[in-house]
Amino acid sequence: MHNSQKLKEITVFIADYASVLLGSGVHCTRVIRNSRRIGESFGLDIKMTVFASSIILTVIDAAEDEMCTEVVVIPQIPVSFELNSELSALSWRVHDNPMGIGALKAEYQALLAKPRLNSWIVTFLVSLANACFCRLFEGNLGAMTVVFVTTFIGFRLLRFLKKNRVDHFLAVILVSFVSSALASLSVFLQEVDANIAVATSVLFMVPGVPLITGVIDILENHTLIGFARLMRAFMIVLCLAVGLSCSMVIFQKGLLW
Amino acid sequence: MVGETLIRALCAAVAAIGFGAVSNPCRRSFAVIGLLAAAGYALRYVLMQGAGIDIATATLLASMLIGFGSLWLGKVIHSPMTTLYIPALLPMVPGMYAYKAVFSIILFMQNLSDPVQAAVHLNAFFLNVIVTVSVILCMTVGASLPMFLFARRAISLTRGRKKPGA
Repeated sequence: MHNSQKLKEITVFIADYASVLLGSGVHCTRVIRNSRRIGESFGLDIKMTVFASSIILTVIDAAEDEMCTEVVVIPQIPVSFELNSELSALSWRVHDNPMGIGALKAEYQALLAKPRLNSWIVTFLVSLANACFCRLFEGNLGAMTVVFVTTFIGFRLLRFLKKNRVDHFLAVILVSFVSSALASLSVFLQEVDANIAVATSVLFMVPGVPLITGVIDILENHTLIGFARLMRAFMIVLCLAVGLSCSMVIFQKGLLW
Repeated sequence: MVGETLIRALCAAVAAIGFGAVSNPCRRSFAVIGLLAAAGYALRYVLMQGAGIDIATATLLASMLIGFGSLWLGKVIHSPMTTLYIPALLPMVPGMYAYKAVFSIILFMQNLSDPVQAAVHLNAFFLNVIVTVSVILCMTVGASLPMFLFARRAISLTRGRKKPGA
């Protein structure tokens, strides 16, 4: 049993929780399930409609015959698997050991405040990953070295552009062009498989998370948001192709095989 | 072949951990991601090179292995399946086919006046696009299958996870 103000507070919290969870790359069904789990711990029922950029949430207090509706915009935040895991675990904690909304909010804020991995460590790991990816495509040591360097430069550039709030699609085109153009310079080095180096140089930007969660959403009958995610992933791949094409046209003669 | 399979499995593990790092995984899931990626990629490589199975079927079977592995290991480290299998699948993304598809479009546009050459490039474009799309679809369906088969277990993997700092 809750008074109107308390009901409003819980509704605003669950709406924020759901939007952050969805923004961090979680598939739709789990966002709804986790939100309902939190609602149940307060004895409330939840109805949700999820769109690509917003969520409409109604929290129903059957005992008091009251309801509260909230519309929340999904924030554009980077994908975070850690947040995904911790917020899911939070919903189980409150379900198994009910706590007050104050304590729940404090725990939630502490999870949001956790720092991400150091950006230079991530840059190094991504560069190493792309170099290994190059090996999987039969690239030799020369091509792997070229890919490591171009990925390092490309990833730092992508971070810089995002920090300066450059449109994401434009940033992908620019980074794709710069990385592949730098890798294309390897056509002048005889010991490097230039084609493999160029092809691999942009693959660190392939949007794996929306591609896979989009298909999961469609399989789970959330077709609208599934298609929205796939469309976004497709647009990113298209931007990758545009940047790659520009450098390939310039260096075409060296790349023909 | 054993040596090459091991080298590729190692490369796949490093690739999965590195690409996964962009999505900020939990520190304790890095080892699991690497293990799943190595096992999945090695299986696909052996199926393709040893048993002569096509890339789509081999990817489907390898991603099923990754999916079941993430269901099992997810319970051990209290992490959702998707946070483990998405990065582990990334080394199997058919990047070279996608690259060839883009290159085919460029060559097609530059050979419009030569119908024979244009047809060759158009054919190459469709071939590469079909392989790319099929492999991505097989990857997703294969890895997600355990989530649908064992739904009750899959939704409760994070239950009992300790509060950070506790």
